[in-house]
Amino acid sequence: MEDDPFEAVVGAYHAEIRRYLLRITARMSDADDLSQETFLRAFRAHRSLPPGANVRAWLFTIATNLCRNYFRAQKRRRRAYAAAALDRSETDAAWPEAEAVAREARARVEGVVAGLPIKQRLAFIMRKLHDLDYPTIGGSLNCSEESARAHVFQALRKIRRGLDGLIPAKTESQL
Amino acid sequence: MSSHPVCREIEPDLLVVASGEAAPAAAERVEGHVAGCGACREELRHYRAIEGLVGALRRAPLPGDDAALARAELESRLADLRRRLVSFGIFSSPLGPILIARSELGVSLVRYLAGRGSVAAEVRRLLGEEAIEDRAATGALYAELVEYLEGRRTRLDWPLDLRGARSDFQRRVLDATAQLPYGAVASYAGIARRIGAPTAARPVAQALRWNPLPIVIPCHRVIGGSGALVGYAGKRVALKQRLLAIEGVRTLPERDDFRVPREAMYALHVGESEYCLPICGSLASRPLSELVLFGSRERAEAAGLAPCTTCRPDLHPLSA
Repeated sequence: MEDDPFEAVVGAYHAEIRRYLLRITARMSDADDLSQETFLRAFRAHRSLPPGANVRAWLFTIATNLCRNYFRAQKRRRRAYAAAALDRSETDAAWPEAEAVAREARARVEGVVAGLPIKQRLAFIMRKLHDLDYPTIGGSLNCSEESARAHVFQALRKIRRGLDGLIPAKTESQL
Repeated sequence: MSSHPVCREIEPDLLVVASGEAAPAAAERVEGHVAGCGACREELRHYRAIEGLVGALRRAPLPGDDAALARAELESRLADLRRRLVSFGIFSSPLGPILIARSELGVSLVRYLAGRGSVAAEVRRLLGEEAIEDRAATGALYAELVEYLEGRRTRLDWPLDLRGARSDFQRRVLDATAQLPYGAVASYAGIARRIGAPTAARPVAQALRWNPLPIVIPCHRVIGGSGALVGYAGKRVALKQRLLAIEGVRTLPERDDFRVPREAMYALHVGESEYCLPICGSLASRPLSELVLFGSRERAEAAGLAPCTTCRPDLHPLSA
């Protein structure tokens, strides 16, 4: 019966939430489905949101919960990894040859991230690729801010091990 | 990384510093340590390189990152959800607990709640699982309803959502009933005549029995051919009497029911534009289905009618 402020919410955040879900699931069709489900749920609940609430953080929380259900209930994790590997090889072809080493390093980072336990993966992607703060990440994952930080750092340690030998030794000139 | 205890202890700080999240104290601690520890210096350099790679990853194009199609589909599903979505509020009205529900299109349900059993279960039964309690969305409607019940308002000009009507017949009955003016009564057979189904008095009564919007669609203004109120909201005919009294329509108690005394009401012969005394011409012998009765001249004139130039109700008003 009157204008719905939810239009503005969709306009502002749909593309970003879908990108997040695409990074998590590595499948366009799943990112489409889960992003739709995120916003349909948000639509049903947005009226009870307190004024001044952080809508973006709230949407990430809904999307993250859906992701966890998605992996838990449907056990598609393995399939998603396979798809992630496929998508990477397609992307690789598009990158210029000159970037060979950096490209290999980036691919290695993606590979490690794709293989992380789900909470570490979600925390890492939220923090490092979508700039969310630790309280929001903790809220999304039902854990404390400190645990959220620990998940991200654990992910970084694994990436560090995965990159052994790829980061060139420091030369004296870089000192 | 060295396995030296000091290095193990400083390791989390290396990560914090490389991430650019370090407090000054931690940054100082790390700076002091790596100045003298080559292994940890190397470690910090690695973590900083990783930050650089992650930054590149964030900027790199993401295969399949085109949200346009998904967005279009979302918009269509949201539009569908908006059409189906109902918000409701439950209020303790002067007539007892009352539920008001509205959709995107308009008010879709007004319901006297029995007050027995679980209200939540009753709401689910009436509105389905998608309904959202939202007193803010229905509070203004309730405020107007209270004004109406206290006689301070004669119209509820609400947009209505009648998609829940049981049939096209019911929709026609509800439309015709909605046109009865404040302070007027007509018979079930009268409504049947208006919708072009003059023999359908009983189906009309049945259709009004399932009126989704009592008060708003004033089915309390529709009575039996004898003037008896007949029924309302199940067996709550006293509620019908009360709603009519608010509008200035007098009723007389009669056995388990009430009766509108047509001999004490102004009358409109349907199709005319003047209201009459009940004894004007052949009015007294006409069936109630051909008449609309008014409790007062004010109500008849508020409905746009002029006093009859023959019987002159303006000069010879009925005694109150």
